[in-house]
Amino acid sequence: MNTQDNQSDETTDFGFEQVKKGEKAGRVREVFDSVADQYDVMNDLMSGGLHRLWKRFTIELSAVRSGQTVLDIAGGTGDLAAKFSKLVGNDGNVILADINAAMLSVGRDRLIDKGALNNISVVQADAQFLPFEDNSIDCITIAFGLRNVTDKDTALRSMHRVLKPGGRLLVLEFSKPTSPLLSKIYDAYSFAALPIMGKLIADDADSYRYLAESIRKHPDQDTLLDMVEDAGFVDCRYHNMTGGIVAVHRGIKG
Amino acid sequence: MQHDPAVITGICRAVELAIERAVRLSPGTATQLQGLHPLDVAIHCTEPTISIFAFIDAAGMVKLASYRETKPTVAIEATWRDFGKLATAADPAAALINGDIKISGDTAALLQVQRVISDLDVDWEAPLVDALGPLLGHQIANIVRAIVHGTKSTHRRVKRQLSEFILEEGRLSPSAGELDAFFSDIDDLVLRADRVESRLTRLKKRVSTLVETVK
Ligand SMILES: C[S@@+](CC[C@H](N)C(=O)[O-])C[C@H]1O[C@@H](n2cnc3c(N)ncnc32)[C@H](O)[C@@H]1O
Repeated sequence: MNTQDNQSDETTDFGFEQVKKGEKAGRVREVFDSVADQYDVMNDLMSGGLHRLWKRFTIELSAVRSGQTVLDIAGGTGDLAAKFSKLVGNDGNVILADINAAMLSVGRDRLIDKGALNNISVVQADAQFLPFEDNSIDCITIAFGLRNVTDKDTALRSMHRVLKPGGRLLVLEFSKPTSPLLSKIYDAYSFAALPIMGKLIADDADSYRYLAESIRKHPDQDTLLDMVEDAGFVDCRYHNMTGGIVAVHRGIKG
Repeated sequence: MQHDPAVITGICRAVELAIERAVRLSPGTATQLQGLHPLDVAIHCTEPTISIFAFIDAAGMVKLASYRETKPTVAIEATWRDFGKLATAADPAAALINGDIKISGDTAALLQVQRVISDLDVDWEAPLVDALGPLLGHQIANIVRAIVHGTKSTHRRVKRQLSEFILEEGRLSPSAGELDAFFSDIDDLVLRADRVESRLTRLKKRVSTLVETVK
Protein backbone atom coordinates (compact mmCIF):
# COMPACT_ATOMS: atom_id res chain seq x y z
CA MET A 1 0.00 0.00 0.00
CA ASN A 2 1.49 3.39 -0.80
CA THR A 3 1.49 6.22 1.70
CA GLN A 4 -0.18 8.62 -0.67
CA ASP A 5 -3.27 6.49 -0.49
CA ASN A 6 -3.24 6.59 3.27
CA GLN A 7 -3.37 10.34 3.34
CA SER A 8 -6.09 10.68 0.75
CA ASP A 9 -9.56 11.46 1.99
CA GLU A 10 -11.20 9.64 -0.87
CA THR A 11 -13.43 6.90 0.37
CA THR A 12 -14.34 3.49 -0.93
CA ASP A 13 -16.72 0.78 0.13
CA PHE A 14 -15.88 -1.78 2.74
CA GLY A 15 -19.00 -3.89 2.62
CA PHE A 16 -21.75 -1.35 3.24
CA GLU A 17 -19.44 0.94 5.19
CA GLN A 18 -17.48 3.76 3.61
CA VAL A 19 -13.83 3.79 4.61
CA LYS A 20 -10.85 5.83 3.50
CA LYS A 21 -9.23 4.27 0.44
CA GLY A 22 -6.02 3.75 2.36
CA GLU A 23 -7.82 1.81 5.05
CA LYS A 24 -9.61 -0.74 2.93
CA ALA A 25 -6.66 -3.05 2.36
CA GLY A 26 -5.99 -3.24 6.09
CA ARG A 27 -9.63 -3.98 6.89
CA VAL A 28 -9.79 -6.64 4.17
CA ARG A 29 -6.63 -8.15 5.59
CA GLU A 30 -8.21 -8.41 9.04
CA VAL A 31 -11.15 -10.25 7.52
CA PHE A 32 -8.99 -12.82 5.77
CA ASP A 33 -6.55 -13.13 8.65
CA SER A 34 -9.49 -14.12 10.73
CA VAL A 35 -11.11 -16.55 8.29
CA ALA A 36 -7.94 -18.17 6.86
CA ASP A 37 -8.02 -21.35 8.96
CA GLN A 38 -11.68 -22.08 8.43
CA TYR A 39 -11.80 -20.69 4.91
CA ASP A 40 -12.04 -23.93 2.93
CA VAL A 41 -14.66 -25.50 5.17
CA MET A 42 -16.76 -22.34 5.11
CA ASN A 43 -16.49 -22.14 1.33
CA ASP A 44 -17.99 -25.59 0.97
CA LEU A 45 -20.66 -24.97 3.55
CA MET A 46 -21.73 -21.55 2.35
CA SER A 47 -21.99 -22.50 -1.29
CA GLY A 48 -23.17 -26.05 -0.73
CA GLY A 49 -20.08 -27.16 -2.63
CA LEU A 50 -21.09 -25.09 -5.64
CA HIS A 51 -17.88 -23.05 -5.56
CA ARG A 52 -16.10 -26.17 -6.78
CA LEU A 53 -18.25 -26.27 -9.90
CA TRP A 54 -17.87 -22.54 -10.49
CA LYS A 55 -14.13 -22.93 -10.26
CA ARG A 56 -14.12 -26.00 -12.43
CA PHE A 57 -15.92 -24.17 -15.21
CA THR A 58 -13.51 -21.26 -14.84
CA ILE A 59 -10.60 -23.65 -15.31
CA GLU A 60 -12.27 -25.08 -18.42
CA LEU A 61 -12.62 -21.57 -19.83
CA SER A 62 -8.94 -20.92 -19.22
CA ALA A 63 -8.03 -23.58 -21.81
CA VAL A 64 -4.64 -23.74 -20.10
CA ARG A 65 -2.19 -26.13 -21.74
CA SER A 66 0.92 -27.88 -20.61
CA GLY A 67 3.99 -25.67 -20.50
CA GLN A 68 2.11 -22.43 -19.82
CA THR A 69 2.53 -19.91 -17.03
CA VAL A 70 -0.55 -19.22 -14.95
CA LEU A 71 -1.05 -16.60 -12.26
CA ASP A 72 -3.82 -17.10 -9.75
CA ILE A 73 -4.08 -13.78 -7.97
CA ALA A 74 -6.05 -13.47 -4.71
CA GLY A 75 -5.50 -17.20 -4.84
CA GLY A 76 -6.04 -17.67 -1.12
CA THR A 77 -5.68 -21.25 -0.06
CA GLY A 78 -4.63 -22.39 -3.51
CA ASP A 79 -7.34 -24.67 -4.81
CA LEU A 80 -7.21 -23.23 -8.32
CA ALA A 81 -3.41 -23.26 -8.23
CA ALA A 82 -3.43 -26.98 -7.42
CA LYS A 83 -5.64 -27.70 -10.44
CA PHE A 84 -3.53 -25.54 -12.75
CA SER A 85 -0.40 -27.24 -11.50
CA LYS A 86 -1.63 -30.50 -13.04
CA LEU A 87 -2.66 -28.83 -16.30
CA VAL A 88 0.61 -27.02 -16.99
CA GLY A 89 2.73 -30.02 -16.02
CA ASN A 90 6.43 -30.00 -15.29
CA ASP A 91 7.27 -27.63 -18.13
CA GLY A 92 4.80 -25.06 -16.88
CA ASN A 93 4.57 -22.67 -13.97
CA VAL A 94 1.87 -21.65 -11.58
CA ILE A 95 2.11 -18.59 -9.38
CA LEU A 96 -0.15 -18.52 -6.37
CA ALA A 97 -0.35 -14.89 -5.27
CA ASP A 98 -2.34 -13.20 -2.55
CA ILE A 99 -2.01 -10.04 -0.49
CA ASN A 100 -2.60 -11.96 2.70
CA ALA A 101 0.20 -13.93 4.35
CA ALA A 102 -2.17 -15.98 6.53
CA MET A 103 -4.17 -17.20 3.53
CA LEU A 104 -0.97 -17.99 1.63
CA SER A 105 0.45 -19.93 4.52
CA VAL A 106 -2.68 -22.10 4.75
CA GLY A 107 -2.39 -22.44 0.97
CA ARG A 108 1.24 -23.46 1.08
CA ASP A 109 0.57 -26.15 3.69
CA ARG A 110 -2.31 -27.46 1.67
CA LEU A 111 -0.22 -27.65 -1.51
CA ILE A 112 2.56 -29.45 0.32
CA ASP A 113 -0.02 -31.98 1.55
CA LYS A 114 -1.17 -32.51 -2.01
CA GLY A 115 2.42 -32.84 -3.18
CA ALA A 116 1.73 -30.13 -5.73
CA LEU A 117 4.41 -27.58 -5.01
CA ASN A 118 7.10 -28.46 -7.54
CA ASN A 119 5.79 -26.19 -10.30
CA ILE A 120 4.03 -23.66 -8.05
CA SER A 121 5.59 -20.57 -6.57
CA VAL A 122 3.90 -18.69 -3.78
CA VAL A 123 4.16 -14.90 -3.88
CA GLN A 124 2.70 -12.28 -1.59
CA ALA A 125 1.43 -9.56 -3.91
CA ASP A 126 -1.25 -6.92 -4.33
CA ALA A 127 -3.42 -7.35 -7.41
CA GLN A 128 -3.12 -3.62 -8.07
CA PHE A 129 0.65 -3.66 -8.30
CA LEU A 130 1.68 -7.04 -9.67
CA PRO A 131 5.41 -7.63 -9.22
CA PHE A 132 5.84 -9.48 -12.51
CA GLU A 133 7.38 -8.59 -15.84
CA ASP A 134 5.27 -7.18 -18.66
CA ASN A 135 4.01 -9.79 -21.15
CA SER A 136 5.14 -12.72 -19.05
CA ILE A 137 1.99 -14.68 -18.21
CA ASP A 138 -0.34 -16.83 -20.34
CA CYS A 139 -3.36 -16.81 -18.11
CA ILE A 140 -4.52 -14.93 -15.02
CA THR A 141 -7.38 -16.01 -12.81
CA ILE A 142 -8.86 -14.10 -9.92
CA ALA A 143 -11.59 -15.98 -8.08
CA PHE A 144 -13.73 -14.19 -5.52
CA GLY A 145 -10.91 -11.71 -5.10
CA LEU A 146 -11.63 -8.64 -7.20
CA ARG A 147 -14.40 -7.32 -4.95
CA ASN A 148 -11.89 -7.04 -2.11
CA VAL A 149 -9.44 -4.96 -4.09
CA THR A 150 -9.44 -1.24 -3.33
CA ASP A 151 -9.10 0.01 -6.89
CA LYS A 152 -10.41 -2.58 -9.31
CA ASP A 153 -9.50 -0.62 -12.44
CA THR A 154 -5.89 -0.33 -11.35
CA ALA A 155 -5.87 -4.07 -10.68
CA LEU A 156 -7.35 -4.93 -14.08
CA ARG A 157 -4.79 -2.73 -15.84
CA SER A 158 -2.00 -4.32 -13.85
CA MET A 159 -3.20 -7.77 -14.94
CA HIS A 160 -3.37 -6.58 -18.53
CA ARG A 161 0.22 -5.40 -18.33
CA VAL A 162 1.71 -8.69 -17.14
CA LEU A 163 -0.28 -10.88 -19.55
CA LYS A 164 1.34 -11.95 -22.80
CA PRO A 165 -0.40 -10.74 -25.97
CA GLY A 166 -3.13 -13.30 -26.60
CA GLY A 167 -3.12 -14.12 -22.89
CA ARG A 168 -6.35 -14.55 -21.08
CA LEU A 169 -7.91 -13.08 -17.95
CA LEU A 170 -10.70 -14.81 -16.06
CA VAL A 171 -12.54 -13.07 -13.26
CA LEU A 172 -14.80 -15.31 -11.20
CA GLU A 173 -16.91 -13.26 -8.85
CA PHE A 174 -20.28 -12.98 -7.20
CA SER A 175 -22.63 -11.03 -9.38
CA LYS A 176 -26.25 -10.13 -9.79
CA PRO A 177 -28.90 -12.89 -9.84
CA THR A 178 -30.87 -12.66 -13.05
CA SER A 179 -34.26 -13.38 -11.53
CA PRO A 180 -35.84 -11.11 -8.89
CA LEU A 181 -37.12 -14.10 -6.94
CA LEU A 182 -33.74 -15.75 -6.77
CA SER A 183 -32.32 -12.38 -5.82
CA LYS A 184 -34.65 -12.16 -2.81
CA ILE A 185 -33.97 -15.68 -1.62
CA TYR A 186 -30.29 -15.10 -2.05
CA ASP A 187 -30.40 -11.83 -0.08
CA ALA A 188 -32.18 -13.53 2.77
CA TYR A 189 -29.66 -16.33 2.69
CA SER A 190 -26.58 -14.22 2.64
CA PHE A 191 -27.57 -11.47 5.04
CA ALA A 192 -29.26 -13.70 7.58
CA ALA A 193 -27.75 -17.13 7.20
CA LEU A 194 -24.14 -16.38 6.31
CA PRO A 195 -23.27 -14.36 9.41
CA ILE A 196 -24.97 -16.99 11.59
CA MET A 197 -23.02 -19.78 9.92
CA GLY A 198 -19.91 -17.67 10.23
CA LYS A 199 -20.59 -17.20 13.92
CA LEU A 200 -21.32 -20.86 14.57
CA ILE A 201 -18.50 -22.37 12.61
CA ALA A 202 -15.78 -19.80 12.65
CA ASP A 203 -17.02 -17.71 15.60
CA ASP A 204 -16.78 -14.68 13.38
CA ALA A 205 -20.07 -13.18 12.27
CA ASP A 206 -18.54 -9.83 11.25
CA SER A 207 -16.22 -11.24 8.64
CA TYR A 208 -19.05 -13.15 7.03
CA ARG A 209 -21.27 -10.08 7.17
CA TYR A 210 -18.51 -8.24 5.31
CA LEU A 211 -18.45 -11.01 2.71
CA ALA A 212 -22.21 -10.72 2.17
CA GLU A 213 -22.09 -6.95 1.94
CA SER A 214 -19.08 -6.83 -0.31
CA ILE A 215 -20.91 -9.14 -2.72
CA ARG A 216 -23.73 -6.62 -3.04
CA LYS A 217 -21.32 -3.76 -3.59
CA HIS A 218 -19.52 -5.52 -6.39
CA PRO A 219 -20.31 -4.31 -9.91
CA ASP A 220 -22.93 -6.30 -11.79
CA GLN A 221 -22.19 -8.35 -14.92
CA ASP A 222 -22.37 -5.55 -17.49
CA THR A 223 -20.54 -2.99 -15.39
CA LEU A 224 -17.68 -5.40 -14.80
CA LEU A 225 -17.64 -6.25 -18.50
CA ASP A 226 -17.17 -2.55 -19.29
CA MET A 227 -14.41 -2.33 -16.72
CA VAL A 228 -12.57 -5.28 -18.24
CA GLU A 229 -12.88 -3.67 -21.67
CA ASP A 230 -11.73 -0.30 -20.34
CA ALA A 231 -8.61 -1.94 -18.96
CA GLY A 232 -7.66 -2.80 -22.55
CA PHE A 233 -8.96 -6.34 -22.91
CA VAL A 234 -10.62 -7.50 -26.13
CA ASP A 235 -13.06 -10.30 -26.93
CA CYS A 236 -14.66 -9.77 -23.56
CA ARG A 237 -17.65 -11.79 -22.47
CA TYR A 238 -19.18 -13.31 -19.39
CA HIS A 239 -21.03 -16.47 -18.41
CA ASN A 240 -23.63 -16.43 -15.66
CA MET A 241 -23.69 -19.39 -13.35
CA THR A 242 -26.30 -20.51 -10.86
CA GLY A 243 -28.73 -17.89 -12.01
CA GLY A 244 -26.20 -15.07 -12.00
CA ILE A 245 -25.21 -15.54 -8.36
CA VAL A 246 -21.75 -15.76 -9.82
CA ALA A 247 -20.37 -14.83 -13.20
CA VAL A 248 -17.09 -15.50 -14.87
CA HIS A 249 -15.75 -12.73 -17.09
CA ARG A 250 -13.21 -13.39 -19.76
CA GLY A 251 -10.94 -10.94 -21.54
CA ILE A 252 -8.05 -11.42 -23.93
CA LYS A 253 -5.03 -9.17 -24.19
CA GLY A 254 -5.06 -8.10 -27.83
CA MET B 1 -32.98 -21.79 -23.64
CA GLN B 2 -29.88 -20.67 -21.81
CA HIS B 3 -28.29 -23.41 -19.76
CA ASP B 4 -26.29 -22.99 -16.61
CA PRO B 5 -22.63 -23.92 -16.98
CA ALA B 6 -22.49 -24.87 -13.31
CA VAL B 7 -25.18 -27.50 -13.87
CA ILE B 8 -23.45 -29.00 -16.89
CA THR B 9 -20.16 -28.90 -15.04
CA GLY B 10 -21.83 -30.75 -12.17
CA ILE B 11 -23.13 -33.42 -14.49
CA CYS B 12 -19.71 -33.77 -16.06
CA ARG B 13 -18.11 -34.21 -12.66
CA ALA B 14 -20.73 -36.76 -11.60
CA VAL B 15 -20.28 -38.86 -14.72
CA GLU B 16 -16.51 -38.51 -14.49
CA LEU B 17 -16.63 -39.90 -10.96
CA ALA B 18 -18.88 -42.76 -12.05
CA ILE B 19 -16.40 -43.72 -14.76
CA GLU B 20 -13.47 -43.27 -12.41
CA ARG B 21 -15.05 -45.65 -9.92
CA ALA B 22 -15.68 -48.26 -12.60
CA VAL B 23 -12.17 -47.95 -14.03
CA ARG B 24 -10.70 -48.45 -10.58
CA LEU B 25 -12.48 -51.78 -10.40
CA SER B 26 -11.16 -52.83 -13.79
CA PRO B 27 -7.41 -52.19 -13.88
CA GLY B 28 -6.96 -53.46 -17.44
CA THR B 29 -9.20 -50.69 -18.71
CA ALA B 30 -6.99 -47.96 -17.31
CA THR B 31 -4.10 -49.11 -19.48
CA GLN B 32 -6.34 -49.46 -22.51
CA LEU B 33 -7.65 -45.95 -21.96
CA GLN B 34 -4.16 -44.61 -21.56
CA GLY B 35 -3.41 -46.03 -25.00
CA LEU B 36 -6.19 -43.86 -26.43
CA HIS B 37 -4.74 -40.58 -25.15
CA PRO B 38 -4.98 -37.93 -26.61
CA LEU B 39 -8.50 -38.50 -27.76
CA ASP B 40 -11.11 -35.78 -27.75
CA VAL B 41 -14.77 -36.40 -28.39
CA ALA B 42 -17.14 -33.47 -28.74
CA ILE B 43 -20.84 -34.06 -28.25
CA HIS B 44 -22.90 -31.14 -29.48
CA CYS B 45 -26.53 -31.08 -28.68
CA THR B 46 -28.70 -28.48 -30.35
CA GLU B 47 -32.07 -27.22 -29.19
CA PRO B 48 -31.09 -26.47 -26.48
CA THR B 49 -27.45 -25.99 -27.34
CA ILE B 50 -25.25 -27.87 -24.96
CA SER B 51 -21.81 -29.19 -25.70
CA ILE B 52 -20.03 -31.79 -23.70
CA PHE B 53 -16.48 -32.83 -24.33
CA ALA B 54 -15.02 -36.14 -23.30
CA PHE B 55 -11.32 -36.71 -23.46
CA ILE B 56 -8.66 -38.96 -22.07
CA ASP B 57 -5.84 -37.38 -20.17
CA ALA B 58 -2.24 -38.56 -20.06
CA ALA B 59 -2.95 -40.70 -17.00
CA GLY B 60 -5.67 -42.55 -18.87
CA MET B 61 -8.50 -40.90 -16.99
CA VAL B 62 -11.70 -40.06 -18.81
CA LYS B 63 -12.42 -36.37 -18.32
CA LEU B 64 -15.53 -34.45 -19.18
CA ALA B 65 -15.86 -30.76 -19.73
CA SER B 66 -18.51 -28.32 -20.79
CA TYR B 67 -16.00 -26.06 -22.51
CA ARG B 68 -12.93 -27.04 -24.45
CA GLU B 69 -10.83 -25.45 -27.15
CA THR B 70 -8.82 -28.45 -28.28
CA LYS B 71 -9.80 -29.62 -31.76
CA PRO B 72 -11.86 -32.79 -31.29
CA THR B 73 -10.79 -36.09 -32.81
CA VAL B 74 -14.41 -36.83 -33.50
CA ALA B 75 -17.61 -34.82 -33.09
CA ILE B 76 -21.18 -36.00 -32.69
CA GLU B 77 -23.95 -33.51 -33.30
CA ALA B 78 -27.70 -33.86 -33.00
CA THR B 79 -30.75 -32.34 -31.46
CA TRP B 80 -31.74 -33.45 -28.02
CA ARG B 81 -34.70 -35.23 -29.57
CA ASP B 82 -32.51 -37.21 -31.93
CA PHE B 83 -30.25 -38.24 -29.08
CA GLY B 84 -33.39 -39.29 -27.27
CA LYS B 85 -34.51 -41.31 -30.28
CA LEU B 86 -31.13 -42.98 -30.40
CA ALA B 87 -31.48 -43.89 -26.75
CA THR B 88 -34.78 -45.64 -27.27
CA ALA B 89 -34.23 -46.94 -30.79
CA ALA B 90 -34.62 -50.66 -31.26
CA ASP B 91 -31.88 -50.44 -33.83
CA PRO B 92 -29.48 -47.61 -32.99
CA ALA B 93 -27.35 -48.35 -36.05
CA ALA B 94 -30.34 -47.59 -38.24
CA ALA B 95 -31.20 -44.60 -36.07
CA LEU B 96 -27.67 -43.34 -36.59
CA ILE B 97 -27.82 -43.72 -40.34
CA ASN B 98 -31.39 -42.61 -40.93
CA GLY B 99 -31.59 -40.09 -38.13
CA ASP B 100 -30.15 -36.63 -38.12
CA ILE B 101 -27.14 -37.41 -36.01
CA LYS B 102 -24.01 -35.99 -37.57
CA ILE B 103 -20.67 -37.60 -36.89
CA SER B 104 -17.52 -35.99 -38.18
CA GLY B 105 -13.84 -36.70 -37.76
CA ASP B 106 -12.20 -39.96 -36.87
CA THR B 107 -15.09 -42.37 -36.28
CA ALA B 108 -12.67 -45.27 -35.81
CA ALA B 109 -11.44 -43.58 -32.65
CA LEU B 110 -14.99 -43.35 -31.42
CA LEU B 111 -15.47 -47.07 -31.90
CA GLN B 112 -12.25 -47.77 -30.05
CA VAL B 113 -13.29 -45.78 -27.03
CA GLN B 114 -16.75 -47.26 -27.16
CA ARG B 115 -15.25 -50.73 -27.13
CA VAL B 116 -13.20 -49.98 -24.03
CA ILE B 117 -15.94 -48.17 -22.13
CA SER B 118 -18.77 -50.50 -23.03
CA ASP B 119 -16.97 -53.30 -21.22
CA LEU B 120 -16.95 -51.22 -18.07
CA ASP B 121 -19.66 -51.59 -15.55
CA VAL B 122 -20.48 -47.93 -15.00
CA ASP B 123 -23.43 -46.93 -12.89
CA TRP B 124 -24.67 -44.02 -15.02
CA GLU B 125 -27.96 -43.83 -13.28
CA ALA B 126 -27.01 -42.94 -9.71
CA PRO B 127 -24.81 -39.89 -10.28
CA LEU B 128 -27.10 -38.45 -12.94
CA VAL B 129 -30.20 -38.92 -10.83
CA ASP B 130 -28.31 -37.34 -7.95
CA ALA B 131 -27.36 -34.36 -10.06
CA LEU B 132 -30.58 -33.88 -12.00
CA GLY B 133 -33.37 -35.62 -10.16
CA PRO B 134 -35.15 -38.82 -11.16
CA LEU B 135 -36.90 -37.61 -14.30
CA LEU B 136 -34.23 -35.87 -16.29
CA GLY B 137 -31.45 -37.89 -14.67
CA HIS B 138 -32.95 -41.17 -15.80
CA GLN B 139 -33.56 -39.90 -19.31
CA ILE B 140 -30.00 -38.67 -19.70
CA ALA B 141 -28.64 -41.89 -18.19
CA ASN B 142 -30.51 -43.72 -20.94
CA ILE B 143 -28.94 -41.54 -23.59
CA VAL B 144 -25.48 -42.00 -22.15
CA ARG B 145 -26.03 -45.73 -21.96
CA ALA B 146 -27.23 -45.83 -25.54
CA ILE B 147 -24.23 -43.89 -26.80
CA VAL B 148 -21.75 -45.92 -24.82
CA HIS B 149 -23.18 -49.40 -25.14
CA GLY B 150 -25.48 -49.00 -28.08
CA THR B 151 -28.91 -50.49 -27.54
CA LYS B 152 -27.86 -53.03 -30.10
CA SER B 153 -25.27 -54.59 -27.87
CA THR B 154 -27.74 -54.61 -25.02
CA HIS B 155 -30.08 -56.43 -27.36
CA ARG B 156 -27.35 -58.81 -28.26
CA ARG B 157 -26.61 -59.44 -24.62
CA VAL B 158 -30.26 -60.02 -23.83
CA LYS B 159 -30.43 -62.30 -26.82
CA ARG B 160 -27.44 -64.31 -25.68
CA GLN B 161 -28.67 -64.54 -22.13
CA LEU B 162 -32.07 -65.60 -23.30
CA SER B 163 -30.79 -68.27 -25.63
CA GLU B 164 -28.46 -69.55 -22.91
CA PHE B 165 -31.37 -69.66 -20.55
CA ILE B 166 -33.49 -71.49 -23.04
CA LEU B 167 -30.78 -74.00 -23.84
CA GLU B 168 -29.96 -74.60 -20.23
CA GLU B 169 -33.49 -75.19 -19.31
CA GLY B 170 -33.53 -77.75 -22.12
CA ARG B 171 -37.14 -77.00 -22.76
CA LEU B 172 -36.59 -76.05 -26.34
CA SER B 173 -33.68 -75.26 -28.53
CA PRO B 174 -34.85 -72.97 -31.25
CA SER B 175 -32.72 -72.32 -34.27
CA ALA B 176 -30.99 -69.02 -34.71
CA GLY B 177 -33.62 -68.18 -37.30
CA GLU B 178 -36.41 -68.79 -34.87
CA LEU B 179 -34.75 -66.64 -32.28
CA ASP B 180 -34.27 -63.85 -34.81
CA ALA B 181 -37.93 -64.02 -35.71
CA PHE B 182 -38.78 -63.91 -32.04
CA PHE B 183 -36.65 -60.82 -31.52
CA SER B 184 -38.01 -59.02 -34.54
CA ASP B 185 -41.45 -59.69 -33.12
CA ILE B 186 -40.34 -58.06 -29.92
CA ASP B 187 -38.98 -55.12 -31.90
CA ASP B 188 -42.33 -54.78 -33.64
CA LEU B 189 -44.07 -54.95 -30.35
CA VAL B 190 -41.86 -52.23 -28.93
CA LEU B 191 -42.51 -50.10 -31.98
CA ARG B 192 -46.23 -50.64 -31.72
CA ALA B 193 -46.16 -49.91 -28.02
CA ASP B 194 -44.31 -46.67 -28.77
CA ARG B 195 -46.94 -45.75 -31.31
CA VAL B 196 -49.74 -46.52 -28.91
CA GLU B 197 -48.00 -44.47 -26.27
CA SER B 198 -47.64 -41.43 -28.49
CA ARG B 199 -51.25 -41.81 -29.57
CA LEU B 200 -52.23 -41.87 -25.94
CA THR B 201 -50.25 -38.72 -25.25
CA ARG B 202 -51.88 -37.00 -28.22
CA LEU B 203 -55.29 -38.09 -27.03
CA LYS B 204 -54.59 -36.89 -23.51
CA LYS B 205 -53.57 -33.52 -24.89
CA ARG B 206 -56.74 -33.32 -26.99
CA VAL B 207 -58.88 -34.23 -24.02
CA SER B 208 -57.28 -31.58 -21.85
CA THR B 209 -57.68 -28.89 -24.53
CA LEU B 210 -61.30 -29.96 -24.90
CA VAL B 211 -61.79 -29.71 -21.15
CA GLU B 212 -60.19 -26.27 -21.24
CA THR B 213 -62.53 -25.09 -24.02
CA VAL B 214 -65.59 -26.50 -22.28
CA LYS B 215 -64.58 -24.64 -19.12
C1 LIG C 1 -12.69 -14.82 -0.87
S1 LIG C 1 -10.96 -15.10 -0.95
C2 LIG C 1 -10.78 -16.05 -2.40
C3 LIG C 1 -9.71 -17.08 -2.34
C4 LIG C 1 -9.65 -18.07 -3.51
N1 LIG C 1 -9.33 -17.39 -4.75
C5 LIG C 1 -10.92 -18.83 -3.64
O1 LIG C 1 -11.62 -18.63 -4.62
O2 LIG C 1 -11.26 -19.64 -2.79
C6 LIG C 1 -10.36 -13.52 -1.37
C7 LIG C 1 -8.86 -13.39 -1.34
O3 LIG C 1 -8.49 -12.14 -1.92
C8 LIG C 1 -7.32 -11.69 -1.26
N2 LIG C 1 -7.13 -10.26 -1.56
C9 LIG C 1 -7.84 -9.22 -1.09
N3 LIG C 1 -7.37 -8.07 -1.59
C10 LIG C 1 -6.34 -8.39 -2.41
C11 LIG C 1 -5.44 -7.64 -3.22
N4 LIG C 1 -5.51 -6.32 -3.29
N5 LIG C 1 -4.50 -8.31 -3.92
C12 LIG C 1 -4.41 -9.64 -3.85
N6 LIG C 1 -5.23 -10.40 -3.11
C13 LIG C 1 -6.17 -9.79 -2.39
C14 LIG C 1 -7.62 -12.03 0.18
O4 LIG C 1 -6.45 -12.04 0.95
C15 LIG C 1 -8.28 -13.40 0.05
O5 LIG C 1 -7.35 -14.43 0.16
